[in-house]
Amino acid sequence: MMAMLKLAAHSAWARRLTLGVTLFSIAISTAMLLSVERIRLNARQSFTQSVSGVDLVVGARTGGVQLMLYSVFHVGQATNNIEWTSFAALAGHPAVAWAIPLSLGDSHRGFAVLGTSAEYFPRFRYGDGRWLKFSDGKAFSRVFEAVIGSEVAARLNYRVGDSITLTHGFGNQALTEHADKPFAIVGILEATGTAVDRTVHISLEAMTALHLDWVAGAPVPGLSIPQNYVEKFDLRPKEITAALIGLKSRADVFRMQRFVNEFRGEPLLAVMPGVALDELWQTIGMVERALFAVSALVIVVGLCGLVSTLLAGLNERRRELAILRALGAGPGDVFMMLAIEGVLVTTAGAMLGVAVLYAATHLAAGWLLAQLGVVIAAQWLSPAEFGLLSLVVLTGLLASLVPGWRAWRMSLADGLTPRV
Amino acid sequence: MRLIRTACCIALTLPLFAHSAPAHVHGVAKMDLAVDGNKLTLSMEMPLDNLVGFEHLPKTDKQKAALAEAMASLKNAADLFVPTVAAGCKVDTVDVGDPFPGGKAKADGHADVDADYVFRCAQPAALKGLETKLFKRFGRLHRVDVQRATAAGQGAATLTPEQPGMNW
Repeated sequence: MMAMLKLAAHSAWARRLTLGVTLFSIAISTAMLLSVERIRLNARQSFTQSVSGVDLVVGARTGGVQLMLYSVFHVGQATNNIEWTSFAALAGHPAVAWAIPLSLGDSHRGFAVLGTSAEYFPRFRYGDGRWLKFSDGKAFSRVFEAVIGSEVAARLNYRVGDSITLTHGFGNQALTEHADKPFAIVGILEATGTAVDRTVHISLEAMTALHLDWVAGAPVPGLSIPQNYVEKFDLRPKEITAALIGLKSRADVFRMQRFVNEFRGEPLLAVMPGVALDELWQTIGMVERALFAVSALVIVVGLCGLVSTLLAGLNERRRELAILRALGAGPGDVFMMLAIEGVLVTTAGAMLGVAVLYAATHLAAGWLLAQLGVVIAAQWLSPAEFGLLSLVVLTGLLASLVPGWRAWRMSLADGLTPRV
Repeated sequence: MRLIRTACCIALTLPLFAHSAPAHVHGVAKMDLAVDGNKLTLSMEMPLDNLVGFEHLPKTDKQKAALAEAMASLKNAADLFVPTVAAGCKVDTVDVGDPFPGGKAKADGHADVDADYVFRCAQPAALKGLETKLFKRFGRLHRVDVQRATAAGQGAATLTPEQPGMNW
């Protein structure tokens, strides 16, 4: 057996170029299969871990998934705002334990700015009910103070005490910069792996103050209210984008949802975050399965390549195999040699594929986080991934039985009789 | 052409201003499921058509009998829902609404049935799923959209005759 293994290895090395290409194609397809699986799981986890302990998310009437996307993940925009009076009415409902207003729309160098109440920090939870923690500083207590997420701090190199200006909307034009009203960073949050990391938090009052001298989405020419006078104005917000609501009793959630959806004042929508996420995944599930099917097909193509390389090689190796037979190797030994070669190539390919996967996730992790908000954890192979890998190797073994069987059938005389 | 387009635009925005009525889709039922302590609450809402195939006031004796029979089987919670057996849930209260309150049909010609069920469970920690036999009893029902809130969190599920159960 050892001898067969050695022979197979030496023989394979002699044909390293063709086998190398096959090995490479198997490696690429394995890496693709695993990364699709990994991104799928991680994306799902990132989404489901984003918010916890919130019973309802309330916004203007739109799709449930859309409301979740803009209010919790800060992806996309709201079509409408909700009146502050409506929010106050909901917050005062007897079933409601707490309500946190959210106001979105401004940005700071590509990061979303969230106007909220100071209650946000002790109330907001993510993952399995973990609380937000400050790595430095504290929550905002005055108007022109900001709390930034860990990634904002890391990427823009900000510290507590730094001063920043916010941009109206998500443009980059100097005109829409709130340059006259800078904010002082008073707190930096610990990393959460959620949208919070990529958010600049300010108070709702600050949100109003920023837009005091603005009318219809643009600064009024000649009118500029200096920062130190701002606090003399009524800074109570008139409208907000969305609200997070926690209830006293879990069982009240449906009654409260109905109350919000049939709210008299204006058309509102209340979604249960867990329900909206399940719906989102039911939609994305199709795409997931399609991606998975494509990568499975890529593996099949890679293994077909392996079989055809081995089969084509048989012709070249007639003489080699015949000499082996002449030296006393039985047809079973030749069969074994071919099968071992196939398995070796597939295994090496799968291992190289894992290496490619690690390199790729290492390189792409930052981009995925920034562009899609998906956290790709650097983790060792999961049992499910091991299962996929062994499936690949097993299929490789089955596939290499075909050339093995062909070699078995070749007679001893075949390779020794020169054909003209 | 432009007039048509304008008219369409206005028509499309109209539902935004009106107070929206709950969706009324034949063949589909909505179910809210909550588990709080030892109490399992199911609230269903569906078009009457799912149960008897008509939504007007019953006229013939046959229609009256069909309606009475449907209402009776809707009240039989133990036959319609099977929570995890190990949880030992027993029917506590059943409240099935009258599709024609006051003996009158609604002006829009549609009729809905609301049904609320409360189960009490001896081992609420063991309660991990629910199966429904609604599809066997009501052939016109094709889908139940479920929202649930349990100790395990919130979730959505779609029940169909092929997959009449869910776990959480």
